[in-house]
Order: sequence, then structure tokens, then C-alpha cells
Amino acid sequence: MEKQFEKNTFAKRLKSMLRVDARRMFTSRFVYILAGISLVVPILILVMTSMMDGKVSVNPQTGKETVMEGFKNVWQIFGSVSSLGSAGAGATAEGMGAGMDMSITSMCNINMMYFAVAVLVCIFVADDFRSGYAKNLFTVRAKKTDYVISKTVVCFIGGAMMMLCFTVGALIGGKIAGLPYTMDGFNVFNFICCVLCKILLVPIFVAVFLTMSVVAKDKAWLSVALSFGVGMFLFMTVSIASPLNAGMLHVILCLAGGGMFAVGLGAISNIVLKKTSLV
Amino acid sequence: MNAVEIRNLTKNFREKQALGGLNMTVPVGAIYGFIGENGSGKSTTEKIICGLIHASGGEVKLFGRDLTDGDVRAKIGVLIEAPGCFKNCSVWNNLMIQARNLSLQNAEERVREVLQLVRMEGAAGNKYKNCSLGMKQRIGIAMALLGEPELLVLDEPINGLDADGMRIMREVLTDVAQKGCTVIVSSHILGELEKVATHYGIVRGGKMIKEMTAEELEASCRTYVALQTGDMKAAKALLTAKYARVEEDERGYLRVYDDEKAENIVAYLYRYGVVVHEISTAKIGLEEYYIDLMQGGK
Repeated sequence: MEKQFEKNTFAKRLKSMLRVDARRMFTSRFVYILAGISLVVPILILVMTSMMDGKVSVNPQTGKETVMEGFKNVWQIFGSVSSLGSAGAGATAEGMGAGMDMSITSMCNINMMYFAVAVLVCIFVADDFRSGYAKNLFTVRAKKTDYVISKTVVCFIGGAMMMLCFTVGALIGGKIAGLPYTMDGFNVFNFICCVLCKILLVPIFVAVFLTMSVVAKDKAWLSVALSFGVGMFLFMTVSIASPLNAGMLHVILCLAGGGMFAVGLGAISNIVLKKTSLV
Repeated sequence: MNAVEIRNLTKNFREKQALGGLNMTVPVGAIYGFIGENGSGKSTTEKIICGLIHASGGEVKLFGRDLTDGDVRAKIGVLIEAPGCFKNCSVWNNLMIQARNLSLQNAEERVREVLQLVRMEGAAGNKYKNCSLGMKQRIGIAMALLGEPELLVLDEPINGLDADGMRIMREVLTDVAQKGCTVIVSSHILGELEKVATHYGIVRGGKMIKEMTAEELEASCRTYVALQTGDMKAAKALLTAKYARVEEDERGYLRVYDDEKAENIVAYLYRYGVVVHEISTAKIGLEEYYIDLMQGGK
């Protein structure tokens, strides 16, 4: 006679997996350290660049003089106003600058947080494999989809938390640095949409970093290196998709894009887990 | 019905063949001692059973179902190499993580139960990284038992355990088997394995060379006569001349493996002036049987 086994539905499996991952992530000191860094970094950037603004540095070898340029207002740390209005297809000064303009204002902005998300995802996943937890997990869970969905959702929440910390930090930093909060070419609604877009793009990055992490398994250094490498290619699109004057259309596009990429790349992670050895 | 049924299992790691058509049958409720040299394919087989690595060929059925069946897999408990624990978490938290993974309704109660079972209730608050090797092995067993598994796969669970730990392990294995759980346990400590196993599988070079029950092992284990005399050199020469297999054991006793009565051996040696001081009849254990088998069954 065949032995009867309790039926584990997808919802039940996912719920328990999400509970475990959420508990693991939000009881870990690491995620709060990253959130703290996300809060402090914009304050430091805004204060330090304001102090250095207008200062001239001379290269002792070439004698060339460089004038240090700081932020002109607080919002510059989030992005810039799209030159083609709110259509979302035009190149922004920030986006154009990704390849050419190497000034501090174009390098040090909220987009740095995607790198922090890479560190979060890679260390979180590598820890699963390094500790042997993945072994316990995948023995009792034949379906790898649960793992991929759960990790994507939880890391998205962690990433969104970091984005929000950065936003709060930038607002505080602007006050300390005495930078103006003037809004030329956009309003509060646009700003909220801009931050929302940045958050909605997090799943794309999480999905990319998760794929790299399941490829690298317990080698956190490799997954971070791969994630940074692949992530670099996506930064241009971030600036274009989330300008300061973003509207609902940007939000919808980022939501759809984030969802589609997360599902597509999640499927790739799933295949990687299915086809490769888990120990 | 069999808990595990494996047919023609093959696994290649690039050019190296780890399993070359392994067959294995583990009946429900058995404690299956999985024996073999290092690199013989035991761990590879166990990892395939747990779905951690993919077979290159062959068929694996668990309780008559496919290996990829999620409902069956949810009822496997595993301890392969080391327990999968987060080193900075406490023993309790590590077990709670696994309990939640298994969607256990009464997670806390169950964690308390398994800790009690492996006599670790006092160490629940300890950080995993501060636990000794033996404690870690027991935590691994506790973790494997959390989901009240139908199949328990243990790879070298006795390693690092002290005498008390080994006794606890024996009790746990016997207890879970009595409740209907099937246990596959691989170990190099054959003396310990012999005390609990009901079935054996001996693997060599990625193939199963012998599967038998504990009763069959008992029947096929030959008896021998162990003796000590005043002149061991002369005794050995005399016995070697008459009997097919005579060996000296680690205590310096001579062992005669031929099916001969002790009194006949004493009389034979006495005839040549060799006096026997001590003589006893015994049966070879699993360890000697295994060594015999590996050496081609001399």
C-alpha cells in the first residue's frame, strides 16, 4: 500500500519560506548596519561636498587646476530633471554623465544604493550555502521557486528600506549642509514618483544579483564581483527611468519593468538551482 | 513497500565516475548501515537521495514516488557532512529556522522535544559556533528529526561523538526506527553501526557489492577459535600446516578460522608438545566481515 504524505500547497510553502527569510533578514545586524550606512552616506556626501565646493585643487605633476563642484541643491543627489520632459525616454544629464562626467555629483547619488543591495543579496544568499542551511532547505523543498520568490521579495523589502533611509539621510544632510530645497522643473509629487521609481527598480537589481549569487553559491566575493559587473550595465537605465520630474507613467513603467525582470531573471535563477549541485 | 529503491544509478563528475550503476533497496522501517571505503560513493548516493546533486543516470524512488515529489521530500531528515546551522545564531534559533521551514504548527514544542531527545536542552541558548564537535553532531540529528521524518539520511553521524554521545545516538536511531522511520546511516565506525543496523549495504567503487539483513550477516559471519600457548611460534607453524586460515590478532592471540572444534585444536597442539593456556570460540563481527569482503573473502 502506498504511503500517504501531507500535501504541501504552493501558498503554504511560500508563506513559511517568506517567514523564515524575513525573520532571518530583519533579525540580522547586517541589514541594520547597511540601513545605517544608507542613512549616513548622503549626510556625509552633502556636508563634505558643500565644504569643498568652489575649492581649487592643483595636480602637483601636471600643474592642472581643478575646481571642486558640489551639489547646488538637495535634490541633485536623487537625480536630475529629464531634458525631454516627463516622457521618460529622454536622456538625463545624470544618465549622459554616467559614462563621461566623473564629477562627485554624478557619482555620489542614490543609485549607489543598488550596490549596497548587491552586497545585501550576495551575503544573504552566500550565507545560506556557506552555513549548509541550503542543504537542509533544498532537501525538504524540491521546488526551487519558493526560494527564488522568497529571496527576491525579502531582499526587495531590504533594498526599499535602504532607499528610504537614503532619502531621509539626504533630507537631513541637506539641512545640515544648508543646501536649498528649491524645486525647479518638478514638484513634490514628481519627487515622490522619482523615489518610488527608484524603489520599484530594486527588484530588477535583486533578481540580477540573486542570479549571480546562485551561480557563485557560497563564494560571496565572486557573487559581489559578478553583481557589480552586471549591475554597472543597468545604471544608465536607472537615470533614464527615474528622473526627478517623474510622473505616474514612470512609476507604472518601473513597476512593469521591475515585475517582468524579476520574473524573467527569477526563472533563470530557478533553472540554475535546478541544474547545478547544491552542495 | 521500500522506502528507497535505486536502480542503475550513475554519477559522473566530469571524467571521474563516482557511481557506476548502483542498486539499492531500503525497506520501510529499516536502519540501513551504508558501508564503504572513502570515495566509494556513499555520500554521493546520499546527496542524490536528498536531491542535492543530480544523477547522471538511473532511477531513484522514495516510497514508490519520484525523487522530485515535493510531498515526499518534505518528510526527509538529513545530516550530511555538517549540520546546516548559522554559526552566530543560538542552537534554539537555528532549530526554529528549520522548524519554520518545515511549516511546523507547534514549532517551539517540537524544538523542545528534539532537544530533549538528543539531551541538548541545557544548551539551547548557546551560540552554535561555541558548541563542541559532538554537540554540533547532536544538533544536526535534532535538526534532522524536527519534521518527524519518514526517511532519515545520516552521513557519518557518529564522528566526533564521545561514548555518551554514541549511546544517545543509538537510542535515538532505535527509537525513530520503532516509530516507523527509515534510517540510512553511513559510518566507518562499524562496531557502533552493528549495534543498531537491521540491514546493510556494502558499496565499492560506486557499485553495491552486497546487501543483506542483520540476520544474514549473522549467519554468514564465520566462527573462529582464538588461543594462546606457551610457544606461539611453534603453535603458529603447526596450525598453519593443518588449517587453511590462521591469523594473529592485535592481542597476539592466534585465530583459527576453519570450522574446527576448540578441543580438537587443543588435542592437536598437545600431540606436538604445545600447551594451550587460553582458548575461546567467537564469531567475526561486521568489521571483520567487511574487511574480508573487501579483501576478496579469503
